[in-house]
Amino acid sequence: MSIAEEYTETPADSRLKRSLTYLWQRRRAYLLIAPVTLFLCSVIAYPIFETFRLSLYESPADSNIETYVGLQHYVEIFNSDIFYQLLSQTGRWVVVGVAGKALLGLLIAVHLNQDIRGRKFFRTAFLIPWGIPYAISAVVFRWIEHPQYGYLNAVLLELGIIDQGIGILGNPNIAWIGVVVADIWIGTPFMAIIFLAGLQSIPQELYEAAAIDGAEKWQQFRYITLPQLKPVILIATLLSTIWTFVSFDTIWTMTGGGPINTTSTLVIWIYQVGLKNGNLGEGAAYSVLGFVFLFVFAIIYLRIYTSGGEEL
Amino acid sequence: MTMAGHDQAGLRKVRIYGVLIALLGLMMFPFYAMFSSTLKSESEIFSSPATLVPTDPSIGAYVSVWTQTDVVLWIANSFLISIGTVVLTLLLAIPAAYSCARNEFVGKRVFLLGVLVVQMFAPVVLIVGLFDVITSFGLFNSYLAVIIPAAAFTLPFNVWMLYGYFKTIPVSLEEAARIDGASQLQILTKVVLPLTKPALVASITYTFLYAWNRLLFVLTFLTDASKYNIPRGVFSMVGALQTDWRMMLTVSVIGILPLLILFAFLEEYIVSGMTAGAVKE
Repeated sequence: MSIAEEYTETPADSRLKRSLTYLWQRRRAYLLIAPVTLFLCSVIAYPIFETFRLSLYESPADSNIETYVGLQHYVEIFNSDIFYQLLSQTGRWVVVGVAGKALLGLLIAVHLNQDIRGRKFFRTAFLIPWGIPYAISAVVFRWIEHPQYGYLNAVLLELGIIDQGIGILGNPNIAWIGVVVADIWIGTPFMAIIFLAGLQSIPQELYEAAAIDGAEKWQQFRYITLPQLKPVILIATLLSTIWTFVSFDTIWTMTGGGPINTTSTLVIWIYQVGLKNGNLGEGAAYSVLGFVFLFVFAIIYLRIYTSGGEEL
Repeated sequence: MTMAGHDQAGLRKVRIYGVLIALLGLMMFPFYAMFSSTLKSESEIFSSPATLVPTDPSIGAYVSVWTQTDVVLWIANSFLISIGTVVLTLLLAIPAAYSCARNEFVGKRVFLLGVLVVQMFAPVVLIVGLFDVITSFGLFNSYLAVIIPAAAFTLPFNVWMLYGYFKTIPVSLEEAARIDGASQLQILTKVVLPLTKPALVASITYTFLYAWNRLLFVLTFLTDASKYNIPRGVFSMVGALQTDWRMMLTVSVIGILPLLILFAFLEEYIVSGMTAGAVKE
């Protein structure tokens, strides 16, 4: 006799009983998703909760003493100049980075989506920058942009564009460009491959019909390719926006956020304040602000992912 | 086709190749800069302006890097961390993905979307809270401190990838095996998983690459230099005042070699994985 059957049957009990029976019948299904659920709860959900809690405390990383300070960190952040500087730098970083990756990716994809020899070779070669450690790409770009020994200076001198070496990463006005170029280089392959997949799913008949109607190549691109590719462009751009927003390794390896914080973004600052300077509480408060941004992106992403599914 | 038509088609091909080769040159230039610098002598690498082609190429740097740096140790650690992450991720993801593909149950949608949301919580935004959790579990400075977060952030891709693939495998195959007396575990390991090979290869490649490439977790949770992976090792060679660029770039070349080999063999799986990860079929 099961536990549920020992109860006298009232409507409420029978509902409970039905629920228990339901869970029992599907116990294997639930048992199999339990490890992932438990794991993600302890490694992701709990740290999220912990971040919110910490943001209300003064908590030095090198001691166990935590002092409750309420919303003080947030008040200080909103009253600081650096926060607004970080916002504008993060915005610039994301907009320029994502635009660069999308345009270059589209250019590569359109040319890869042709009936040519060696397509597989080109595709593999274009993919490689995406697959290597960001920290390694970052040191290589640091080397290329080196003020004295760098290849960039050598090329520019050779071409006669400059007559004396320039130090990009040490110059507060242009250092961010030096970093964003590396980031575009890293992120372009993803865009190119996703766009290529999107291009390949466009029915060929559309182009044939357009060609019969006398549409030029550019018109075909403008009126067939772009509209057909729109859902893919939307998803890829959104994902890229999220990844660019949170990218850490590249900036940290190239400049550490300097010179004078000009290459810093919101997430670089989380690390700088929370872990480098050892002020977990304030770092957590910056993290919470980072969550807010990600949350907005996540909602947009999920809406497109779940509702627009049929179109993709 | 007329002569003019031939010419036009030929011209188009030339233009396409031209653009592709130019773009490829642009994308490959950093690799050239990296590799050619490692072939320079200690004095040539510090010549200004830089020589674009090494005047007297030698593999001296590759010989001395074995004795002067911990590159072997870093590579070994990278393998350990990557393989550990792959094993942990698959052990968690396979049962969950299988359960979702084969059963209808209340909460399935919430589970799958919840897993997807994890992907949004990028590591660095979570790093402060994660630091607190890792230290209070006493995991700080252990390999697990790196493997566990890496597994958490690769799980979404793995669960979704395998879930999608399991759904395409006909249930009738499993029923046939069941009639033959196979247990549930046997069905999974002998019937389902072998058929899932393409998805498994994509999953493993993605997870391996992710763990191999990550600097953040090692930078934050491992202070013991003997546990550094390749990105952390390279990062540790960036000196505040002086950087041995020749050695550092040589370590970089060696550090990406395993990945280049992986790419050469698994390119198709990587592409299908990337595509499936972002765009729902």
